[in-house]
Amino acid sequence: MSLLTLMNVTKRFGGLVAVDKVSLEIDEGELIGIVGPNGSGKTTLFNVISGVFYPEEGTITFEGRDITHLPPYKRAPLGLGRTFQISRPFSSASVRENVAIGAMFGAVAEQKTSVDDSLGMADRYIDMVGLGAYRDKAAGALTPVEKKLMEIARALAMRPKLLLMDEAMAGMNPKDIDDMVNFIRKIRDEEKIAIVSMVEHIMRAVAGFAERVIVMHQGAKLVDGKTEEALTDPRVVEIYLGQPSDQVK
Amino acid sequence: MKNTISKYYPLIPVFIAYLIMFLIGFSVPGMWQMVALLAFYCALGQSWNIFMGMTGYVDFGYVTFIALGTYGMSLGISYLYHFEWLGIGIIFIGILLALFLASLSALLEAFIALRLRGAYFAIACIGINEGLRYFIEGAKLWGGSEGLIFSGALMQALGREVANQLTTFWADFSVFIIAALAAFLNMHYMRSKIGYALTAVREDEDAAKVMGINTTKYKTIAFLTSGLLGAGVGAMAWGLKLGYVYPGDVFVIHYTVECIVVVLLGGAGTLMGPVVGGLIYGLSKYWLAIIMPGFQLLIFAPIIIIIIVAFPEGVIGLLKSRLRGTKYKMFIE
Amino acid sequence: MVSSQLANRESMIFTLLAGNLAHGLLLGGVYGMATMGLSLIFGVINVVNVGHGQFIMVGAFITLTMFTALGLSPVVSIPVALILGMALGFFFFYTVMRRLIRAPELTTLLATFAIGILLEEIAKLIFGADFRGYNWGVGKITLPITTIPMSKVYAFIGSIVIALFLYFWLSKTRLGTTIRAVIEDNEGAKVCGVNVGWIYALSFAIGIGLTVMSGVLLTMFIPVGINPYMGGVYTLKAFVIAVLGGLTSPYGAFFAGLIFGLIENGAYTLFALIPGVAPFPLTISLAFWMLFFLLLVKPTGILGK
Repeated sequence: MSLLTLMNVTKRFGGLVAVDKVSLEIDEGELIGIVGPNGSGKTTLFNVISGVFYPEEGTITFEGRDITHLPPYKRAPLGLGRTFQISRPFSSASVRENVAIGAMFGAVAEQKTSVDDSLGMADRYIDMVGLGAYRDKAAGALTPVEKKLMEIARALAMRPKLLLMDEAMAGMNPKDIDDMVNFIRKIRDEEKIAIVSMVEHIMRAVAGFAERVIVMHQGAKLVDGKTEEALTDPRVVEIYLGQPSDQVK
Repeated sequence: MKNTISKYYPLIPVFIAYLIMFLIGFSVPGMWQMVALLAFYCALGQSWNIFMGMTGYVDFGYVTFIALGTYGMSLGISYLYHFEWLGIGIIFIGILLALFLASLSALLEAFIALRLRGAYFAIACIGINEGLRYFIEGAKLWGGSEGLIFSGALMQALGREVANQLTTFWADFSVFIIAALAAFLNMHYMRSKIGYALTAVREDEDAAKVMGINTTKYKTIAFLTSGLLGAGVGAMAWGLKLGYVYPGDVFVIHYTVECIVVVLLGGAGTLMGPVVGGLIYGLSKYWLAIIMPGFQLLIFAPIIIIIIVAFPEGVIGLLKSRLRGTKYKMFIE
Repeated sequence: MVSSQLANRESMIFTLLAGNLAHGLLLGGVYGMATMGLSLIFGVINVVNVGHGQFIMVGAFITLTMFTALGLSPVVSIPVALILGMALGFFFFYTVMRRLIRAPELTTLLATFAIGILLEEIAKLIFGADFRGYNWGVGKITLPITTIPMSKVYAFIGSIVIALFLYFWLSKTRLGTTIRAVIEDNEGAKVCGVNVGWIYALSFAIGIGLTVMSGVLLTMFIPVGINPYMGGVYTLKAFVIAVLGGLTSPYGAFFAGLIFGLIENGAYTLFALIPGVAPFPLTISLAFWMLFFLLLVKPTGILGK
């Protein structure tokens, strides 16, 4: 059974069609990259999946259950986690408290934890992303890259089955990107999470971890297939003006 | 175990403050009225802070709860006083009515107002207060604009002696109890899931939802608690103590202003804040009433403005940031 | 015999209703104009002026003073109110509001609330808490359904004139267009080189000026009951009207005001027919139910986007 299925999902804002009849399937443990230029609808797609918006048409199914109009706070316990393009930490709380919140509320029902247990669990995920030294620091005081790492830890603390990562690697240098790619692979292997990562144009990363790539353009799904095939598809090359075929080696 | 108890350390200075206030009022002749006034403001501030402090939402119509609480007690006494077999139970019925009315209003408000944000929420709250007031007057409900007078009824129900004791001592004493209860609940919420959920709501409500937090549920819990405590204060400090109620006297937005001043002065969202704020405000008001009667609001309005602009954290807020990292931190919250 | 008596009574009620609706329409114009300032301020700097009613009160007292102390007709008070109102607006903007532009919404709500209280207390200090009034005897019009004092007609005309003036100013002049641009898209306006800070100040001042002016018109309509605490009720009504018309649209506010005036007077007439209720407070309470209903159904207003 597939984990997440979208069927003909369409989201409109007034006259603008942000997501245009998108259908896709994600299975357990898959590593997927979504690419597409700015404005191609990627973030809106994530917002619709996580429940920030409801689509006008189409259905979203998670583990066989229709979640199209389910409020966002009910989706998290089903196993849907997400990070944001522009970090949204709970600034006045410490890193530890932020991550603990993920554990407290986002976990699957049987695994719901108390405040104390959550704080304890938070440490594990904080160490996993390498922020151990900043445990008690106010989340608002972190650097942008540190904030992104914290968001990942917070999302992981929710013990998701599917993790949506929105531009997690923006602003990182190549070494950090490589580390992140390895990290993504590692959590997929260890935590058995399917990860859908959204990147705008960091092909290095996409090529590094994605088993499958979905290319979006103007709200619609253009291409959906194995990484190499997708990135060398002539239509994709055309949108990116020749860049991808250089970098995918 | 130690971990759990030490969580509650910040309550110690609060309880000590209340205890000292009570002892001074009890033992020094003539001080009881003033201490009762201070306790009143501390209790209101503490109760209002539970919702505002944790969520950051400002309930402008908070006075509605106090007013309904007053009505609850008033209705209880006014309509049941001839059932003499109820005895002292009539007071408890009054409290129950107060809580009942307040929770009806709270749930109605929560259903509508809490789905709104910022400006719309504030407007809705003010609207509820004014609407209820004019509805009672307009529909001539519960005595209409004249209201109810029941000090006589109270004496009839319980005898002069008991009634006197209730109105001069027990009413004020219960305000202390409410203040302490409010402080305890405030602390308890802050340290529990509710506190974390509401911190998330305050910082970023949409992100909180995506994290799995049922924001409406937690906001409602805090809102309801805050409101019920306020109703308790109204029932005791206004209803039982004064023996009368009418809409123009209780549904007055100015009392919300006083809550705001108390909490802002001391530090919104902190535990000790309302105590400090209540003391400063109560003492100032008492003092001003003696030397310059009628001028309190004139002086406090610009003070509120100055605090908002220059010292948004209040006394305790400033103290907290000074003490961060030291061992004294655990006593201040 | 009986049926004609019944018909007579029905037609009396009908006449009464029609007459009151006519008054309501006129009052609605004033209400609408009074709310335009609120919408303008919210549209430009995203602040809900909780002290709205108190500025109306200021306008009322200006009119009262000029009429009773200087013998000047309320019409003269209109430009005076505008100037004083704008001065107040600039004053409060530069001392208080400017520092709060980036503050959480609720801080600005508290601030405008406190400003309102300050105005009330200063008014009480200067004028005392008694209810005052004046009598502007300019005659009346007699229509088949009702008699309308000319002062009310003048008030209505005044509100329309001012509303039209604002409309043309916002759409035709450069400054007005700039303000509309800032309402639409704050960031975009900045990028185009607009001195947004000055626009904020100006809009706030104009908004307050409009509000104080509306106080003059309001007392033209209701020349009694002037006291420092009269503002609160008008704030509530203005909120209802603003939400009805869309909180950001001054034009919407005007039309919503007309609708509100009609509903208010119509309701009053009907309530007065019910025995055992006090129609005046009940009508005000109606405003609350309307507000609640609106916020539940369409918070962005019927006429807004």
